[in-house]
Amino acid sequence: MSRRFHAPIVLTLAFLTVVVVLLFTGGLFVRKVVGGAFRDAELVRIARVHLADMLKQQLDEETGVRGYSAVRIPVLLDAYYGGRANLPLYFRRVRADLEALKVTEALRPLHDAARTNYRWVHEIAFPLIAHPRSRQRLQLRGKTLVDRFRIDSAIIDADLARRTAAVNAGAQRAVVLVGLLALGAIVAVVLAAVLFTVQQYRLAQRLDRERSYSERERRRAAELRAAYEAEKRIADVLQQAFSERIFPAVPALSFSATYIPATEQAKVGGDWYDALQLSEDRVLLAIGDVTGHGIEAVVAMNKARQLLIGSALLDATPSQVLARVNSELVRAKSPIITALAAVLDTRTGEFAYCAAGHPPPVLLEPGSRARLLEFGSLPLGVDSGVEYRTRSVQTTPGTLIVLYTDGAIEYARDLAAGESALLRAVESAAECAAPNAAAVIRESIFSSQKVADDVAILTVRLSETGGVSVGGQAADSAISAEVRTRNARKVNPSRLRRSA
Amino acid sequence: MTDTEAIKIVQFKGELEIGRKGEIHDALAAVHDARAILVDLAEVSYADSIALTELLRFCVKAQREERPVALLIQTPQFARLIQYAGLASSFKVFAQNAEALEYLQTSIRS
Repeated sequence: MSRRFHAPIVLTLAFLTVVVVLLFTGGLFVRKVVGGAFRDAELVRIARVHLADMLKQQLDEETGVRGYSAVRIPVLLDAYYGGRANLPLYFRRVRADLEALKVTEALRPLHDAARTNYRWVHEIAFPLIAHPRSRQRLQLRGKTLVDRFRIDSAIIDADLARRTAAVNAGAQRAVVLVGLLALGAIVAVVLAAVLFTVQQYRLAQRLDRERSYSERERRRAAELRAAYEAEKRIADVLQQAFSERIFPAVPALSFSATYIPATEQAKVGGDWYDALQLSEDRVLLAIGDVTGHGIEAVVAMNKARQLLIGSALLDATPSQVLARVNSELVRAKSPIITALAAVLDTRTGEFAYCAAGHPPPVLLEPGSRARLLEFGSLPLGVDSGVEYRTRSVQTTPGTLIVLYTDGAIEYARDLAAGESALLRAVESAAECAAPNAAAVIRESIFSSQKVADDVAILTVRLSETGGVSVGGQAADSAISAEVRTRNARKVNPSRLRRSA
Repeated sequence: MTDTEAIKIVQFKGELEIGRKGEIHDALAAVHDARAILVDLAEVSYADSIALTELLRFCVKAQREERPVALLIQTPQFARLIQYAGLASSFKVFAQNAEALEYLQTSIRS
C-alpha cells in the first residue's frame, strides 16, 4: 500500500492520540483538584467539630465554676476539671487542623483563645473556687473573658468557612474544567472525523483522477500498440518480399544469406542484400542499411536497392555505382544509407568493392585467418560531393567473402568484441564446411547474444576448381538457402583446408 | 575576437542514441555559426546510426560553409565506429585536445 493511503489514517490516529493524551492529562488534573477539594472539605468539617468541642469545653468549665460558686456543691466542678484536662488537647487538635488546612490567619485567634482561657482560669476560676463570696464581680469579668473566647472561636470558624468557600470554588472550577474537557473531547473527535473524511474524499478524488488518467493511457497505449503492430506487420511483409533474393546461377560461386529481423521491441529496419549476375564471369554483390526503422526505412531501402542495381547495369565499377546512387539519394533527400557494392570476377578472382559508411567485408582465404578489408567513405545521401573509392582484392580459389550489416557487430555496443566474434564465426563457418555459411555465422554469433537490430549476412564462396553450378536460389531464409546450396554445391569444404 | 574566442566547443558524453537526437541536434545547432568548431567526443563510447547521422550532417554542412570542424575522439570503440561511418577519412579527427585546437586556429588564420 502506498504512502498516500497511509497518510490520512496516520494523521487521524496521530490527532486522536494527541487528543487522548490531552484528555488523560486533563482528567488526572481534574481528579487531583476534585480529590483535593473533597479532602480539604473533610478537614474543614473535622476542624469545625474540634473547634466546637473546644468552645464547649470552655463553656463547660465556665458553667461548672459558676454553679459551684452559687451552690457550693463540689460535684459541679467536675465539668470544670474535665474542661481543664481536655482543652489543651482540643487546642492542639484545632491548631493541627488549621496548619493542615494552611489557614494560618486563624492561628492568631486560636492563640488568643488559649490565652483568654488561661486568663479565665487564673483570674476567674481560681478566685471563684477559692473565694465564692466575691462571685458577682468575678462572674461578670468571667463572662467577658468567655465572650472573648467565643469571639476568637467565631473568628476561627469564619476563617474555616472562607477556606470551605475557597475549596468549593476550586471544586466548582474543576467541575467546569471537566465539562470543558468533555466538550473539547467531543469537538476533537468531531474534528478528527471531519479531517479523516476530508482526506478520504480528497484521496478518492485523486484516485478517480488517476484511474481516469490510467484508463486514457491504457487506451492510448493500446492504440499505439495496434498502430505499431500494423506498421510492423506491413514492414515485415515488405521486408520479407524485398529480402527474397534469387541468387544468380554462376558456376564457381556458392551463395548463402540470412536475414534476422529486429526483436519485438525494435522496429523492422531497412537492411537488404543483393546478388546480380552482370556478365558470364562477373557478379554484383550489394548490401545496405537504411538509417531508421519502419515502413519509411523499408521503402527507402527498396528505392536504394533499385537505384543500385540500375546503376550497376550502366557501369559496374563499385565507386561509380555508389556515386550515382548517392547523387540520386541526395537529390531526393533520402534518409542516410550505408551500403557496400562489390563486383566479383570469377575468371580473374578480383574482388572489387566500395563501401559507403558501411562495415568492411570479411575475407577468408584458404590457409589464412579471416580478416576485415579496408574501410570506405561517407554513407549515401549525405553530400553529393562525396568521392567514393573502389578497392580491389585478389582472391584465391576457396575464398569465402562475407558481407554484413552493422547489426552483426554492434549488438553489444562493443565493436572490437563484435568484430572478433564475427571473424571467429566466419572461421567456424569455413572450418565446419557448412553448406550455409551465413546460417552458421548467425548461429555462432547470436546463439548467446540478443539481436538488437536487423542483421543481414551475405556470403559468397569461390570454388577451388571453377565450373560450379549454382542456380536460382532463393535466400530468404537460412533453411531454404541451406537446402538449395546443399543441392547445388559441388565444392567440398574439406578441400579448402587441404589446399590451405 | 581572438582565435580562441572564435572557436566554439560542443561537448557530448556517454552513449549517443536516438533518445538524445534532439539534444544532439540542439547542441550542434547552437554552434553552427562559429568560425571554427571543436566537437568534443572524448567521453563518448557509442553512437547509433541516428546520432551519427546528426553528427555527419553537421560536419558536412560546416564543411560546405568552409567552417573548420575538429572531432576530438579518445575512446577506441567510438574511434572504430567513426571509421566505419567514414567520418575518419572525410573529416579531421584528433585524439588530443591541443592538437585539435591548433588545427582549428591554423585554419582560422589561413
